Amino acid sequence: MKFSTTLLPLLTAAAPFAASEHTSNWAVLVSTSRFWFNYRHLANVLSLYRTVKRLGIPDSQIILMLPDDMACNPRNAFPGTVYNNADRALDLYGDNIEVDYRGYEVTVENFIRLMTDRVGEDMPRSKRLMTDERSNILVYMTGHGGNEFLKFQDAEEISAFDLADAFGQMWEKKRYHEILFMIDTCQANTMYSKFYSPNILATGSSEIDQSSYSHHADNDVGVAVIDRYTYYNLEFLETQVRDPTSKLTLGDLFDSYDESKIHSHPGFRYDLFEGGEAAARDRKVMDFFGNVQNVEVEGRNETGWIRDGAGLVKVSKPEPHGETVINRSEHKATQSLRKDGAWKVEEEQGWKKQVYGAAALVGCAGIWLAGSWLESI
Amino acid sequence: MAAPTGTDASLAAKPDETSSQSTTSPNSSPSARKLPPPESRESLLLRRLSILSFWVLVLFVGLPIWLKTTAIYRAELPLQEMTDWAEGKVCKPVFPLRIAVEAPVSIPDAHHLLRTTQHALDDINDFSAHHLRLMLADSPLQSNASQQVITDGTGIMSNDRDVALAIRLIPVETGTTPRSHLQPYTPMLDVYYSPNQIPSQSSTGSTLATFLAQELHNIFAEEQAQLVHLLSASSGAHAAKIKALSPETSAELQRQSTRVLKYAPTYHLTFSLFTPSYAPSAWDIETALQSYMSPLLDAFSAISNFTVDTQVQLYATFAPSIHQPEYDEEKKTWILHKEDLSGFVNAAEWPLSPSIGEGPTVNFILYVPDRTQSPLLIKENAGNSWLIPQWGGVHILNLQGEPDTPSALTADMLAPAMHTFSNQLISLFGLPQSPASLPLRLSTLERVRAASLIFSASSTLGALAQVYQKLPSIPVPDNVAQSTHRTIAHLQQACDFLRDGRFPSALEHARSAEVEAEKAFFERSMVGQVYFPDEHKVAVYLPLLGPIAVPLIMAALKELKSVFKRG
Repeated sequence: MKFSTTLLPLLTAAAPFAASEHTSNWAVLVSTSRFWFNYRHLANVLSLYRTVKRLGIPDSQIILMLPDDMACNPRNAFPGTVYNNADRALDLYGDNIEVDYRGYEVTVENFIRLMTDRVGEDMPRSKRLMTDERSNILVYMTGHGGNEFLKFQDAEEISAFDLADAFGQMWEKKRYHEILFMIDTCQANTMYSKFYSPNILATGSSEIDQSSYSHHADNDVGVAVIDRYTYYNLEFLETQVRDPTSKLTLGDLFDSYDESKIHSHPGFRYDLFEGGEAAARDRKVMDFFGNVQNVEVEGRNETGWIRDGAGLVKVSKPEPHGETVINRSEHKATQSLRKDGAWKVEEEQGWKKQVYGAAALVGCAGIWLAGSWLESI
Repeated sequence: MAAPTGTDASLAAKPDETSSQSTTSPNSSPSARKLPPPESRESLLLRRLSILSFWVLVLFVGLPIWLKTTAIYRAELPLQEMTDWAEGKVCKPVFPLRIAVEAPVSIPDAHHLLRTTQHALDDINDFSAHHLRLMLADSPLQSNASQQVITDGTGIMSNDRDVALAIRLIPVETGTTPRSHLQPYTPMLDVYYSPNQIPSQSSTGSTLATFLAQELHNIFAEEQAQLVHLLSASSGAHAAKIKALSPETSAELQRQSTRVLKYAPTYHLTFSLFTPSYAPSAWDIETALQSYMSPLLDAFSAISNFTVDTQVQLYATFAPSIHQPEYDEEKKTWILHKEDLSGFVNAAEWPLSPSIGEGPTVNFILYVPDRTQSPLLIKENAGNSWLIPQWGGVHILNLQGEPDTPSALTADMLAPAMHTFSNQLISLFGLPQSPASLPLRLSTLERVRAASLIFSASSTLGALAQVYQKLPSIPVPDNVAQSTHRTIAHLQQACDFLRDGRFPSALEHARSAEVEAEKAFFERSMVGQVYFPDEHKVAVYLPLLGPIAVPLIMAALKELKSVFKRG
C-alpha cells in the first residue's frame, strides 16, 4: 500500500498529459518466416498492410518486414501476386507496395534496432521508426513461435524479454503514446507476458500450449493462404471499418473474436494501459489502424507584415556587434544555398587515365621480365 | 614412464590372481599382489608440478581471457547527475528579461520612475521565474546632454542584443496620455506621456508607472502563459510552485502543443503542386518563394535551418475511400466536408515524403481542382485551406475568371496560396500570436524553444540513465560517456545563460545539448545482446568446458588425496 500512495501524486500529475491526443500513427508489420510453405504469414502481413494503408497511414509511416518474396517464388502458380483468400479476388501485392526490410534484413537485431532507433547515420528515413511521445503505434507480428519466443527466419529467435526491453526503452525515450501489439503465432499470448512499460495494449491469437491455425488453403496455390486469427480480424476491419470516419472501438473488435471459429483462445492484456480495460476497450479502431489528422480549417491571418519584406529582413539580422563565434557561424548558415536535385555523372574520357593504365601494364611486364632474367642467371 | 608400465603389468596380472585367490582363500597372502615400484621423489614432484602448471594456466590465463572476452563493456556514466537533470533538480529555468527605458528626463527622476514602475510590475507579476527587469538606457542624447555616465551598472545600451524590449518615453502635449505604440519591426515600445505625469521624487505611485507596468505585463502575458504551460508539462518538480492557468488558456496551449512541429535543427519544406489533370504543369514557384517565404525563413533562421524543395504532380487522384466532392446547387460550388479533409491527401498515392535530407519534412500542398470541379470549397466555412497539425498545410487554388486552366501559374496567381502557407508555417512553428511586434515574438519563441530543449535534453539523459540501470546486458561504449558529459556541460551553460538573460546563447547551447543527448541515447552499438536464459549458457559452455574441466579436477583431487594420506 505504501507503494501505491507514493505513486499516486505522480500519476495524478501525469494524467492530463497522458490523456492528450496523439498526432501521428505508425504501423510496424512483421512476418518472421521464410520459405514457400509459410506463404500464409506473408499474406497475413500484406493483408494488414493493405488495411492500414486503406485507412490512411501513409507508406512513410508503415514499416513492412517481409523475409521472403512469395510473389516471385518459382513455386507460385500466379507469379507476381499474393492472395489471402482462395477466391483470389484481391491481389495483395498490387502495384503500390513498399517493403522496408526484405529477405535477410529481417533479423532480430534489425527489429530491435528499428524499435529503439539505434541505426546508422546512412539509414534511409523510410526504414526508421521516427515516432515521438504523440505517436500511436500498431505492432503486428506473425510467424512461428513457442513459449515466450518467436522464430525469425528459422535461424534465430526473439524472446518475450527482448521485446519487453525494446518497448521499455521506447517508453523511456518517449517514443510512443500508445501501442497496440497484435501477434498471430502459436502460444502467442506468452509473447506479451513480459511487457512492463505503460500504455501498451496487447492481444494475441492463442494461449500457452495452443497452436494458432491456418484458415484455409488454396488448392491452386498449393498452401494455406491465411491464419484464422488474422482472417477474422480482417473480416471485422474490412466489413465494419469501411472508411476513416469509423467510430468503432477496439472493444468491438475484440468482441468480434469467436473462439469456435478461431480454434484457439485469443488473449488480451489491459493492465499496462492507463485506465485499464475500460479505457483500452474504448479506444477507437482508427486510433491504431488509421491515421488521425485533426485538421484546423480556421487559420491565422497575419502575413500583412510579410509584404514589408525589407523591414523584416532588417529585423531578422541585427547588426552584429560583439557577438560570439557561434552567432557568426549562424549568419553564414542563413545564406540560402541552391542545390541541384541530381548530378549527371560525366564519364572521363581524357588520355590521362589511359596513360596511367598503360604505364602500369608496362611496369608489370618489366618486373616480370626482370624476374625471369634474374632466374635465368 | 616407469609408473604406467607398472600399472599395465599389474592390470594384466590381476585376473589370474583374483581368480586363483577367490577359489582358495581370500585373505591368505595380500603381499602376493604385485605393487608398482615406489615412485621416485623427482617423478612425484614432476607430476605435481605439471598439474599445478595446468591449474595456473587455467586460473591466471584462461579464466581472465574468458571473462575479458565475454564481458560487456560499460563505460561509467554520471548516473546521479543525469537523474538529477531529468528530475529538474539542477536547473530551474528563469527568464530575467532586460527592458531598457529611455527617458528624456533628469537622471534622478528617471531612476525614481524606474523604481516605482518596477514595484508596480513586481506586484502584478505572479510568475516568479519570468521576471522583467527595468534598466535605464544610455541614450546617446542623454549622455551628450549631461556628460553624466551612469556607473552603477544598471545602465545599458538600448541596442544591446540581450535587451528584450526598449521603451522610449516621448513627451507630447496633445492626445490622450499616457498611450503606447508597439513598433512592428523593432523591439521598441513608444510611450507618449505628458510631462506632468513623471512622478515627483516624493510620490510613491503615478499613473505613468502603473500604465507602463500594465503595458509590459500585457505584452509578455502570452509568453508567460506559454512558459508556465511548458514548465508544468515538463517537470513535476516545478509544477507545485507555479501558478495555475485558466482552463481555456490551458486547453488552447495544449492544442497549440499538438499542432507545433517537434523541434529539429533542420526542417525540410516541400511545396507540391497537385492537379487531377494535365494542367497546370508549371508554376513560378521560385519567384513566389523568393518574395513570400524567404523573409519568413530568414526570420526563423536563428532558431532552425530550412531546406526547400518543390514538385509538380499531374493526374493526382483522390483516395477511393473518401467521399468525393459534392456539388452544391445553391452556391454553385463544389464542397468538401470538414470530416473528410483528413482523407483529402491521398497518402498512399501522392509522393509526399521524400526520404532525403535530414530533419522532418513539412508539406505544403497546392491543389488545383479540375475545371469541372471548380470552385472547390470547404462546406463549414467556405474556406479553401486547412492546416494539418505537425504535418503541413493544404491550399486549394480555385482559378476564377480564367476561361481555361492555364498551363503555368504565375507568381501573382500563387500569392494567396503563399500567404496561406506562410500563416500555416508560422502556426506550425509555434510563433505566439501576440504581441504585435515581430522581433518580440521571435525572441519569445527563442526563449520557449530554449527552455523546451533543455527539458527534452534533460529527459533524454534521464532515459539513458534508466536504460543503463535497467538493462545490464547492453554495452555502453566510451563515446556515450563523452557525449553525456558534453550534454551536461552544454545544459549547464544553457542554464547559466538563461539566468543571465542571454537567450540567443542559451538557445545555442540548448541545441547542442539536445544533439549530444540524442547522439548518446541512440548510439548505434548500444543494442542489447539477445536475451539468453541460463539453460542456454549451460548448453553452450558444457560441451566446451566439460572435457577440459573433468581431468583437471580429477587429477587435482587425486593428488590432494594422496597428499593428505601421506600427511
